[in-house]
Amino acid sequence: MTFDFEAAGAGRAAGVARPPGCGRANGLCVSATIDSLEPVSDFVLGLGKRARLPESSLYRFRLAADELATNIVLHGYRGEPGEIAVDGGIDPGDVWVRFQDDAPAFDPRQGMREPALDVPLAERQIGGLGVFLAFTAVDTFDYELVAGRNVSTLVMRRPAVE
Amino acid sequence: MSFDVRLRINDKVATIELTGELDASTAREFHDTVGQAAGAGAVELVIRAERLGYLSSAGLRSLVFARQKMGDEVRIAIVGASEPVARTIRLAGFDHSIDLVDA
Repeated sequence: MTFDFEAAGAGRAAGVARPPGCGRANGLCVSATIDSLEPVSDFVLGLGKRARLPESSLYRFRLAADELATNIVLHGYRGEPGEIAVDGGIDPGDVWVRFQDDAPAFDPRQGMREPALDVPLAERQIGGLGVFLAFTAVDTFDYELVAGRNVSTLVMRRPAVE
Repeated sequence: MSFDVRLRINDKVATIELTGELDASTAREFHDTVGQAAGAGAVELVIRAERLGYLSSAGLRSLVFARQKMGDEVRIAIVGASEPVARTIRLAGFDHSIDLVDA
């Protein structure tokens, strides 16, 4: 599977809140199910590799996207049918991936909870752990509600070109 | 994505060998295997993670389940986790209750 990505800087600001990215060359549109996590991860890994992210950054970029997508499926749509539009791009200084969904308005960052290190593991409340991992994995985690649509963007800095 | 989980129990030591990617789509299988290990009365759980390429919070939840189900007296060790997998475990603070060995 191959993807074409928008030219530098062309996409991140433009195109927010337009219909889901089904059929767009630089993204994909998936149903809000657990089975969709794999194509989302494949897309993000492909994007990160094209951006020449170092291995550790690539892993964290994928982890953040996977946790965010999982959050949208489980806590956004809560089992109701829906779609998630995913697109991304490569800029000179960073690589970004954006998720748009029509689940009830919810800033995923509000659900983040730092691990309670002083509480025994067996007694931990572990809700919010995925978003915590996502938030700490990337350089920027933005959320906007645009025309009733949830729009979350993850940004990872690219290493300086030698 | 391929994922494989194997359980063997010797002298009340349960060993779970993980291969592939442990995420929300594969965590159920791991969760069920942890339940089997706990149900078998194991006094130690060793998770071989040398071939675990990816771990998300869904996999971490199963580790909490393991700790809950097996009780505090059972040692749980994760052996050979890769750097990013070990980083996730430490970031979540699980290394206070679960031993990271060779990671």
